[in-house]
Amino acid sequence: MDDLSAKAAASAVYKVSPELQHEVEQFLYLEAALQDEHRFREWLGLLSEDVRYTLSTNTLAQVRDRRRGIAPPTTYIFNENKYTLERRVARLETGMAWVEEPQSRTRRFITNVRITGQAGDEVRLSCNYAVHRAAKARDHHTFYGTRRDTLRRNGDSWIVVSRELELDEFVLVTANISIFL
Amino acid sequence: MDDKLNVRQLVDAHKGTVKPAIYIDQDIYDLELERVFGRSWLFLAHESQLPKAGDFFTTYMGEDPVIVTRQKDGSIAAFLNQCRHRGMKLCHADSGNTRAFTCPYHGWGFGLEGGLSVVPLEQEAYRNGLDKSKWGLVRVPRLTTYKGLIFGNWDETAPSLEDYLGDMAWYMDGFLDRREGGTEVVGGVHKWVIDCNWKFAAEQFCSDQYHAPYTHGSAIQVLAPTPENKSDGKPLGDGQTQRPAWANGLGGVQFSEKGHGSAFFFTEKPDANVWVGGEVSEYFRETYPEAERRLGSVRALRLAGHNTMFPTLSWLNGTQTLRVWHPKGPNQIEVWVFCIADKAAPDSVKEALKASHARAFGPAGFLEQDDSENWVEVQKVLRGYKAKQTGFCVQMGLGFEERRKDGIPGVTNYTFAETAARGFYQRWVDMMTSETWAEIEARTKEYQKELVHG
Repeated sequence: MDDLSAKAAASAVYKVSPELQHEVEQFLYLEAALQDEHRFREWLGLLSEDVRYTLSTNTLAQVRDRRRGIAPPTTYIFNENKYTLERRVARLETGMAWVEEPQSRTRRFITNVRITGQAGDEVRLSCNYAVHRAAKARDHHTFYGTRRDTLRRNGDSWIVVSRELELDEFVLVTANISIFL
Repeated sequence: MDDKLNVRQLVDAHKGTVKPAIYIDQDIYDLELERVFGRSWLFLAHESQLPKAGDFFTTYMGEDPVIVTRQKDGSIAAFLNQCRHRGMKLCHADSGNTRAFTCPYHGWGFGLEGGLSVVPLEQEAYRNGLDKSKWGLVRVPRLTTYKGLIFGNWDETAPSLEDYLGDMAWYMDGFLDRREGGTEVVGGVHKWVIDCNWKFAAEQFCSDQYHAPYTHGSAIQVLAPTPENKSDGKPLGDGQTQRPAWANGLGGVQFSEKGHGSAFFFTEKPDANVWVGGEVSEYFRETYPEAERRLGSVRALRLAGHNTMFPTLSWLNGTQTLRVWHPKGPNQIEVWVFCIADKAAPDSVKEALKASHARAFGPAGFLEQDDSENWVEVQKVLRGYKAKQTGFCVQMGLGFEERRKDGIPGVTNYTFAETAARGFYQRWVDMMTSETWAEIEARTKEYQKELVHG
């Protein structure tokens, strides 16, 4: 309870009311739908001014190093704030972001939504995601991963305060990531 | 001449044409693994990635997996990442620290120096005897470092790295030798797959300044320091450069030699390109006097532009991205990208650089996204019967090659040119059709002589 920083899953279920669970899930689905419908400016409106949005690389470590808590270094794939996320949207709007011209189609699936903590007007949750992207005539890409979000109550809805993404690939098998995960 | 696949008919560097078979043909690719990747100096790792004895980093030379290790005596060695017993891949970690490498298949163990040291059940299983001294790891026979970069070569007869680089070393020094203490890798390695031939990526970083204003138009448009993009006029913070390097109107240079290539624009100030974070750009301005003392003004001022060391090592000055295009068949590459910082830079600048680098040229980077898309789409078109036979135009600046008198070395041209691409493909042909290094060097020399009459 009240721990918004834990990365590992808690060993016991954190109990919340069905109403809160429902409310949070519906917010996540709305957010996913806005992105799938390319309504990125509206989506940006669901992010707090101080939002942090991150994704780092994964590495393969040998058991000897893992047991000593040592892992190969990682680096950012996304390391965004509200402004850089907005600039990514602005880039798509230029009509010259060639990777997204003509525009791709995406479908986002959010599952395993678990509220993992509450503090003041913020909730912490974890969920798994799958994103399918169809682009050009016949390119199909899928992105699978998990993420930890912190949401803040905003009137009768929510805003995203932080999103820590993980993507379950070591060598990315897509040529680039041109969408939000 | 030993041109069993007739590649000389596919590339005409004098007229500036190439036939697309060089990007898709499996037989040509197989010969590339032997004649290009089997005898070129290939980048393996940066010394900063292996600070301690027992540190290792796994990578590829062509399609061959290799392990690079720091030895107990401080030297560096590299081995084919393959167990000598039954061919299993030996080490599956990206990097780490170890005393030995043990094969997951039957448990053969190899020391850091590559020798076979452990054979499970040796007495019972090898009643016939096994001479362990004969079954050590296959060592990369030529290994050397150049200003922090570790290179390997499978070919014992290859020229020294310095001879192989030629004047490319002058351009490389401008990237690696700006400050006392040299460079280091910041953060981890970006790795991703692009479905294109390795030559599209390598050639673009070798020779293609021309694509930047158009391919990367969207990124420049939204990150340019204007009040429309951010009310304070600083999208990437204090210190962001005001405009792209190509918008200065001061001219520039493209370089070509021995298949390597590089190009940049002259600037009045030591300005990194417009997409580089303000804190990083400011760092380069502050450290300019030291860089000028070490390199002279031309290279110290140069904080933009592209480079390829033949065949597959590329980098961008100022943006600080260094990448290898590992070939994975004729139709695919695996890109490995390293962020390079001056070792003497403050930690805050290194952190800012890591963020700036990923934002611009990571797999989700504002600029990187559009490059890969181009190569993938070209590769798709080349499946076509007619497309396969339709030659590409590589004629930009043909006939305007020169040797400069101001100390900038090599065969040169204006920045917007395809001189380096023609040199890249000529070198490729020379390697593909020559049995010995003497022939390769003689042919390349002859081509360059024709270009600049001496």
